[in-house]
Amino acid sequence: MLRIFGRLSSLNTQKVMFCVYELGLEHELVAAGREFGVVDTPDYRALNPNGLVPTLVEDGFALWESNAIIRYLCAQHSRGDLWPEDARERALADSWMDWQQTQLQRALHPELHSLSSDPGRFTPERIEAARMRCETLMDMLDSRLGQVPFVSGARFGMADCAMAPPVHRWMNLAVERGTYRAVEDWFGRVSQRPAARKTLPAGARHGS
Amino acid sequence: MLKLWGRLNSINVMKVVLALDEIGLPYERTDAGLQFGVNNTPEYRAMNPNGLVPTIDDDGFVLWESNAIVRYLCAVHAAGRFWPEDPRVRADADRWMDWQGTTLNPIMVPSFAGLVRTPPEKRDAAAIEASRTKTDAAVGLLDARLEGREYIAGGAFSMADIALAPIMHRWLNMPCERTPRPQVERWYASIMARPACAKNLTRPIT
Repeated sequence: MLRIFGRLSSLNTQKVMFCVYELGLEHELVAAGREFGVVDTPDYRALNPNGLVPTLVEDGFALWESNAIIRYLCAQHSRGDLWPEDARERALADSWMDWQQTQLQRALHPELHSLSSDPGRFTPERIEAARMRCETLMDMLDSRLGQVPFVSGARFGMADCAMAPPVHRWMNLAVERGTYRAVEDWFGRVSQRPAARKTLPAGARHGS
Repeated sequence: MLKLWGRLNSINVMKVVLALDEIGLPYERTDAGLQFGVNNTPEYRAMNPNGLVPTIDDDGFVLWESNAIVRYLCAVHAAGRFWPEDPRVRADADRWMDWQGTTLNPIMVPSFAGLVRTPPEKRDAAAIEASRTKTDAAVGLLDARLEGREYIAGGAFSMADIALAPIMHRWLNMPCERTPRPQVERWYASIMARPACAKNLTRPIT
């Protein structure tokens, strides 16, 4: 059985759990990180020396880095569906997953994440700069989703599992936001999926 | 012929150059980014709305994000060689590639930019030292990973070594103090003995 160490308030754990539910995999979610601790124990560090969540353990094989976990699970269980067989379609999924991780998630953290967990930690100028950066990135994603119904093209796939949690986080922040019709349309469809309902916190509850 | 946009002192562009040379694919490279500009033109933004380098155009297929490009080139041209066919070995390679992008590079940027791209009188010594300390510790994870393994994903050279070579070349050549990391140094020597690295990772870091 799969074991996933993480907490559902973590974006990276949400991404992996969205994928696990999409694939219908039998699993156990072991609470770890933040208030749950665990991540600093020698046993956890032996699985994941980087000390973050999530970590996947499958028959003795330990994997960390959320997007690497998503790629692995989809390649194992959903070739030709969530994991595109076509190299170019897969490359576009990969590209947007990398963008989600290196651009979007970095724009959300730490300034915007702090709004609910530690308000006052950053100056209004820092918060505003991060908010503007997110608007620019949402504009990019909006252009993409104006051309194709899902992140990597015509079908729902692994890139949508990775993208939905940070977009959900952004949409629930107490900040001003522009209108992104294609993103909102996409999110409306993706968030109706049973796996999304099990993974994304309802309403405006944020962790970070 | 495959087209590549990007300047050679970008570690992300260098990943793609190494992938292309390791595979042996001919390509045409155009300097872009920083002093070369290009990446802010409407033509470039139409290809890559994110506006960073590198970008490739492979017979009409445009792709950006350096690790996605490395995965794509290796999957199409070097499956079973640099792109591991075994899902767990491939996941191992993927994980260290992602770690390079999500962890190692962000923590190294302040010390690299401070020590190499900022005149001495404008440097933020505290930010440089904080970045250097964190990077030095993170490289320790890679050192532990390489204990008992010839390459990052195991016994064979893979896309993960391609993606990590430029940043490790940068780190090992930065003018700063580093904890000795015997496994990383042994790995770096073996990577540098390969023709693609020997040819491309030659210039001083800038």
